Amino acid sequence: MRGGDFDEVSFFGAVHESGARALLIGRRALVLLGLPVLTADYDFWLAIDDIADFNAAAARCDLHPTVDPERARRRGRYTLENDEHVDVLVARSVTTVDGVRVAFEDVWARRRHITLGPGIDVQLPFVDDLILTKRFADRPKDLEDIRLLRILQSESNK
Amino acid sequence: MTSRREEFSSFSDRRLDAAEARAYLDAPVTDAERDEVLALVHWFKRRYPAPLDRLAYVRRAYARWQRTLGIAAGIVDSSG
Repeated sequence: MRGGDFDEVSFFGAVHESGARALLIGRRALVLLGLPVLTADYDFWLAIDDIADFNAAAARCDLHPTVDPERARRRGRYTLENDEHVDVLVARSVTTVDGVRVAFEDVWARRRHITLGPGIDVQLPFVDDLILTKRFADRPKDLEDIRLLRILQSESNK
Repeated sequence: MTSRREEFSSFSDRRLDAAEARAYLDAPVTDAERDEVLALVHWFKRRYPAPLDRLAYVRRAYARWQRTLGIAAGIVDSSG
């Protein structure tokens, strides 16, 4: 499948139907919240027990994992690819660069969803949690995204 | 020889040390910065009220950026 052929509705629909506990993180989450930032790929934080369901959903869009589920669990992340690129984090918890432990189950419990179409909901972290995921690496672009999210958050708190 | 895109990626993907990150995060948001960001958000939501259309816009914009080899590199993320 070429990138231009990728059907986002089908992809997110397949993920929704799979029942996999998958949180959209990364810049596409910012886009859904209303921030016009560019990105090439898709980033998810996935429940560690749901790799098979998520991979089956992705396979419907011709996206295939780079490693088997057991290896993905050991590494804590893996990728699904065709001309598209989906990064998947599968850790039960991740610690930010300044030492805050962020547990998937907690973030999942506080999630929100955005409806893309009939029967297609995308699960997103609560904004405070999305900010924490941006502190897993502290790259310049992550910190820029945190500033954008804080501004967005201040507006919605008015 | 590295391309502009590679130069940008290596710059934006590097990990900052704790002091650099803290300084960046602690820098106050100016009124001008806030106004600029919120103006963009309001435009984006008005122009694309449906979340699906926002995703589609980003795919088009990214494809445009690829064609122009990074003229808009300052806002492009190639890895999340």
